[in-house]
Amino acid sequence: MAMSFREKSIWISLISTLLIFGDYFLNILFLGGVSEEIAQSAALGLFLRALVLIIIIEIVFQGMLAISNRKEAELGANERDKLFEYKANSLGYIILVIGVFVTLGRVVFLELNPEFFTQSNTFNIPLLTAHILLFSFIFSEVVRFSAQLYYYRSGH
Amino acid sequence: MLDFQHNYITTEVVTNMATLPIKNKIRELRFFAEEMTQQELAELVGVTRQTIMAIEKCKYSPTLEVAFKIAEVFGQSIDEVFQYESS
Repeated sequence: MAMSFREKSIWISLISTLLIFGDYFLNILFLGGVSEEIAQSAALGLFLRALVLIIIIEIVFQGMLAISNRKEAELGANERDKLFEYKANSLGYIILVIGVFVTLGRVVFLELNPEFFTQSNTFNIPLLTAHILLFSFIFSEVVRFSAQLYYYRSGH
Repeated sequence: MLDFQHNYITTEVVTNMATLPIKNKIRELRFFAEEMTQQELAELVGVTRQTIMAIEKCKYSPTLEVAFKIAEVFGQSIDEVFQYESS
């Protein structure tokens, strides 16, 4: 089955998210060996780089796609596209909520048991709480995009 | 020849009826509308070709609005184009 404009657009978002934030999280894991202060500023730098990259890539590639599929781009999302979007959003939302509750649980647990604070960060990841939240968000986005692509590919 | 094609198209629609309870005769109506393409129908209705394809194969049930638009394109009433078959 030929891909629609919407489907191609979701593929761009999925691949760019996986590549850019995959690289980001890998780099964050490697920051475990350096001092906390350096790791934190490096993490912020990496985050800004990832943010700028994803914005540029989305603008450039989505723009190119829209130019080459002008008719479909102007048509916008039709009812089937919207239905897949709603269904996929629900799945992504579940992942995001789980991530938020895991983070909340961690914060509360460490507040009540501060002696576990150093043990809670085995890989010495800088800004761990923020990164758990960010990972939940990115993972929920990946699930959202993947679910949409699944619905399109399974021919619903 | 026309009878054969008509029977073939009807059979094809019937074969694809295993998916959703709302069936349709879009393929047949397209054939009798001078072999209107899915793309042409999609443009007239305001959806994508993939959506028309999914509706035609009974894999996606359209909203009432789109169903009415499709019926309007072929100059038919909605129940002549779409049928609900309860199991």
